[in-house]
Amino acid sequence: MKHSLLVTRAALVNGLLISSLASAATVEFWTAQTQTDRLKNIELLASTFEALNDGVTVNVVAVDENEMATQMAAAVAAGTTPQLIEVNSEIIMALGEEGIVDSKTHQGVINDIGKSRFHKGALTTLTSPSGDYYGLPYHGWIQGIWYRKDWFDEKGLAAPNTWENIETAAKTLTDKANNQYGILVGTKQDSYTEQVFTQLALSNNAAEFDAKGNLIFNSPATLETIQYYNTLAKYNPPGPQNWRARDYYLQGKMAMFFYSTYIMDDLSLAEVAKGSLSSENFKELSGGTFDPNLVKNTAFAPIITHKSAASYGTLSGLVALKTNNADDTQATKDFIEFMYDPASYITFLHMAPGGMNPMLKGIAEDPAYLEDPNGVFTLYGADKMKQIVSGFDDIRSFSVVKGKTFPASGAFFAKSVIPRMIYDVTIENKDPQAALDSAEAEMKTIMGE
Amino acid sequence: MSSILVKNEARLGLKLVAPAVGIIGLLVIYPILFNVYLSFFDVQLNGSKTFVGLDNYTDLLGNPRYYHSIGVSVIYLIGTVVGTTVLGLAASILMNQEFRFRNLARGLILLPYFAPVISVVFGWQFIFDPVNGIYNHVVVDVLHLTDTRENLIGNPDSALFVVILFDIWKHFPIAYLLFLAKLQSVPKDLYEAAAIDGQNAWGRFWHVTLPELRFVIATVVLLRIIWNLNRFEDVYLLAPNVETLPIFTYYQAFAGIVDQGGAAAISVIQLLVLVGLIWLYVRKVLKW
Repeated sequence: MKHSLLVTRAALVNGLLISSLASAATVEFWTAQTQTDRLKNIELLASTFEALNDGVTVNVVAVDENEMATQMAAAVAAGTTPQLIEVNSEIIMALGEEGIVDSKTHQGVINDIGKSRFHKGALTTLTSPSGDYYGLPYHGWIQGIWYRKDWFDEKGLAAPNTWENIETAAKTLTDKANNQYGILVGTKQDSYTEQVFTQLALSNNAAEFDAKGNLIFNSPATLETIQYYNTLAKYNPPGPQNWRARDYYLQGKMAMFFYSTYIMDDLSLAEVAKGSLSSENFKELSGGTFDPNLVKNTAFAPIITHKSAASYGTLSGLVALKTNNADDTQATKDFIEFMYDPASYITFLHMAPGGMNPMLKGIAEDPAYLEDPNGVFTLYGADKMKQIVSGFDDIRSFSVVKGKTFPASGAFFAKSVIPRMIYDVTIENKDPQAALDSAEAEMKTIMGE
Repeated sequence: MSSILVKNEARLGLKLVAPAVGIIGLLVIYPILFNVYLSFFDVQLNGSKTFVGLDNYTDLLGNPRYYHSIGVSVIYLIGTVVGTTVLGLAASILMNQEFRFRNLARGLILLPYFAPVISVVFGWQFIFDPVNGIYNHVVVDVLHLTDTRENLIGNPDSALFVVILFDIWKHFPIAYLLFLAKLQSVPKDLYEAAAIDGQNAWGRFWHVTLPELRFVIATVVLLRIIWNLNRFEDVYLLAPNVETLPIFTYYQAFAGIVDQGGAAAISVIQLLVLVGLIWLYVRKVLKW
């Protein structure tokens, strides 16, 4: 109900602002949101836009995030490139380097909306070395450690915000004989592993590039991080793991885990958590019942400090692609601006309250935003939300060093160089230095291409 | 026949095969040739190409993971082909005996083969889940055989064997089906004659059943080799860290941004192997 009200408001506002477009144009929009309910929401937004703009058709296509790069390659080769995609920043930077992104449209949107309204760090993340915008930041999440505060208190453990605290707690709370695990760090060869590693590496001042763009990944700081990571992995549930193992936490079999703000939804709502324990996330299903006190007993440590304090998050952006049709390009630009209109923007972000955080300033304090349909934000409070979102002014990652971006980092990500290195060390017992050497060699090969 | 008639007939023949030749040329020959061409280039998504000579090939052949994946593939092939053949043979001989509910049993054996891969893979993952799975529950909590919970599917040392076991379980019914069909056509008097000659059950199997089945067994083995050399979905879904050749190719070529030149080089090499197998198939299987 609330959604349709918001959309109606959007319709009224936009109807006054945008005069109808003259001729027929098509916007094919690939979104990484593949869940049915989210797709329905996006389609609702698309048809609202169509209703406001005569002759414009918006086709929403769901493409799995892991498939996006492959599907794009096929589409470009076949001459059926979509006009607009929504995908994570690493893929955006990699696509930008392939020369198929329409930076002019992005610049136009930024001029219309106002550069200062975007969170600075978010915009920098999607800027090319020569200052072009490879994409427009749309929504993002912050990662940190979510932990069982009641267990920590019981054992007199400090919050897991330093390397020492994390290791002590993981060790203390692991009891393998009783099927209890201290921590979850990623050990499968997928992106979750890279996300966990990145935050720890940044807190140890390890980096992929220096400000001049030299590859400095093979450093004592990185090696130290790998060794530390390997220690933590010993307190993991057995075998290679990824984010799906967070269900062990919901079952009360794990003390802490790295996760994004997307978990807020799952933790807040017994109903949502029950869904997560039964439907798509088949693998860890125990049939166990949900613990209603879990929210109360869960705390969040977003910043990890070792040599420096590091928060980590990532964002997804909207990317207009080059087309041969000026009408399509114009329609795409209008559609993007429609998607940034507060009413439609909030409708989109409310698909995953807490998980999808706004990239435009002011949205997080908007009363309409704070009244999400699941009541998540009421539970966490406006101040907490503002604090989480402000992280995007100063977000750190491997691809941005002192305000300069290094798109090669996106290519490393796409080729899972770091996750494979971690997998080799934690699961295959490869020597950390040897694994680091081969990761560096692989990075050099990718850069050489 | 006059030469005009022969000529006319030849011309008609050409016209009749022309569409087929055209379609094969367009859909098979052209892509293969274009693929060979691409394998000498570094290809960007926007279509621009840089000639790199044999670099794509030397990169591939200098990659230790490539050889590792060949080794894994060989173990996988031997394990699965031997396993399915032996189990299929045993099952077919058993099911060739007279007993009550034989038809029901014959049907039930086929179930794993017809069940969708994705659903049985999830079933196996449930069973072997390290924290909640029934396997660890039975081994650790009920039978107390060991204190440590194992992630058999995740652990790279055991994963290959789980994957082999899975393939045997999933695909032995096809071997069983082919063997049983042949067994049913073996004349009863051959067994009677062997019995009169004083052969026991083992002797009858060795001297009657096996020679009769020889060609079917050879066909099954050859087919299984060809299928399993390219088997992707079972392995990738169950244990993506078991890098057989097709999985390696996938990671190398299609993970992340597609390296079209490198992928082309891999597929050219794969094509050569496949051509060898097809040649074998045409010469052997189709001649039997």
